[in-house]
Amino acid sequence: MVAPRPEIPEQYLYFQNRLRLPMHLRKLKTGNDSFDHIAHGGLPLGRTTLVAGSSGSAKTLFGAQFLAMGIQLYNQPGVFVTFEEQADDIRRNLKSLNWDIDTWEKEGKWIFVDAAPKEENIIAVGDFDLSAFRIRLERAVQKCNAQRVVIDSIGSIFTQFHEEMHTIRRELIQVALTLSRLGATSIITAERLEEYGKITRFGVEEFLTDNVIILRNVLHNEKRRRTIEILKFRGSNHEKGENPFSINPEKAIVIIPLSAMNLKHITSNERVTSGVPALDEMINGGFYKGSINLVSGAIGAGKTLLVANFVNGIREKKERCLLMAFEESSEQLYRNAAGWGIDFKQLEAEGLLKVISIYPEVSSLEDHFINIQEIVKTFKPQRIAMDSLSALSRTSSDKGFREFIIAFTAYLKHKEITGMFTSNTPLLAGGTSDTEGNISPITDTIILLRYVEMSGEMQRSIAVLKMRGSKHDSSIRKFTITENGADIGKNFEGISGILTGNPMLIKLE
Amino acid sequence: MSMHVFQLFINGHSLNSVEAVDTLLKICRENLNGNYQLEIIDIQKDPDKAEEAGIIAIPTLIRMEPTPVNRIIGALNVRSRVLAGLGISSMHVTV
Repeated sequence: MVAPRPEIPEQYLYFQNRLRLPMHLRKLKTGNDSFDHIAHGGLPLGRTTLVAGSSGSAKTLFGAQFLAMGIQLYNQPGVFVTFEEQADDIRRNLKSLNWDIDTWEKEGKWIFVDAAPKEENIIAVGDFDLSAFRIRLERAVQKCNAQRVVIDSIGSIFTQFHEEMHTIRRELIQVALTLSRLGATSIITAERLEEYGKITRFGVEEFLTDNVIILRNVLHNEKRRRTIEILKFRGSNHEKGENPFSINPEKAIVIIPLSAMNLKHITSNERVTSGVPALDEMINGGFYKGSINLVSGAIGAGKTLLVANFVNGIREKKERCLLMAFEESSEQLYRNAAGWGIDFKQLEAEGLLKVISIYPEVSSLEDHFINIQEIVKTFKPQRIAMDSLSALSRTSSDKGFREFIIAFTAYLKHKEITGMFTSNTPLLAGGTSDTEGNISPITDTIILLRYVEMSGEMQRSIAVLKMRGSKHDSSIRKFTITENGADIGKNFEGISGILTGNPMLIKLE
Repeated sequence: MSMHVFQLFINGHSLNSVEAVDTLLKICRENLNGNYQLEIIDIQKDPDKAEEAGIIAIPTLIRMEPTPVNRIIGALNVRSRVLAGLGISSMHVTV
């Protein structure tokens, strides 16, 4: 005998139907390019996405940006439901980003639904529902024909009615159904207590399961690191894993898309000069255009000199170079370069060179990256030199730095910009640095500058450790710094152990 | 006895709404001796008022006077708790 099938409640049918959706759902461009990039086009169109994060993880900003971009870029009106902050506070906080919510409200493009807790004491006696909220939400959406809805944050409603968890849960399923019926693309934010733990504090993910994004704000080695992770978009693709982001005073949330970096950039066979003819010879005609080149050496070994020559190399084809100096002021740089016969001032006057000289500590790595991108957009350089990467690595955790390097080099390759970075080795002779450990696998060329202690004298040496896709000189050569700049001499014959820092004379038979 | 002023927000004829109206009327009749004003607001018919008062739950009872203003949400089905919540003496209640 077959038992009668139990009746399935409507809401579960709704979730079941969701499972039959085809892959490649349509997406709604949020207008935040960096997000749309990692989300493969934007948020799932007409669906609700749960944005979970600990306190201070920029959930409210994420939601507000979604609405603001919709209005600014696509003229799509939006409804902002606030369960936590007072609407006035939100208006004020967002003013600094040049989002004029007052005006948008007057124009009927932005509607607040104020569901923030009231000052009055509230007690619950008996069963209730949230139909008043649903009706208000629906009215607001219809009034402005909203295509975007943000509910911030759903956890607060559990705190407001903390004795009625069960009821709130049941009612929030109804709210989710209302949103789905209205067809607007929505964001619901929710709190979490731990950065790596269950998705939300009150388990709302149980009924908002289709699309989940997690924002994190992790403290590691005294440094804060913000990341965004798209956990899932049901029936649609997106980038996996955490991507760091920064809160920019003008552009709000800017994501640095790590995982979206691929190795599909154009590789060029064109060579560009290093600025030192003898070095060009060692590397078989120059650096490849769009390659990443690392110069490693101890203090005073001649790294900045090679950078100066690299910068000067733009003269040949009247190209442009951006020089990021993290160790010296621009005055110092000009003076030093002049000492090697290179006129930075002239280059700048001709509009070929831009020198940005700042302390790495003034902003986070993510912000440095965003700043550089901005400069690249307007200045359009063919070369970027960075002196030194080691200084820059001080501002971040190891992991953060590694990610920055990956993202940054991928960015340069994508733009076909030839890059030269320097890194400091802690030991005078031999040795490598942590910076190199992070960067060397993704560089195309590594040039070593090493001191050689020989018969009571410090001599400098230069060697090309690797060069991807090209022959190169494998000898270790004498390197001297003269009034005319770099001078590369013959190789050290009859000596071994330079790279390990213990040079020894070998008797040649 | 001071004047009591109430607003009760309901949603049409939902079960909770009907129960709340019944209970509240009974309490008023039996405890306030005609000394009250009660405005019943149906959010279906008058959503603007719900917007203004920032109502999210149904039913919501607001005691406007005497101050301080306070709110009780729910079907009001436990009389003793409603009375306590509204600050009405329940001495005269006949059970």
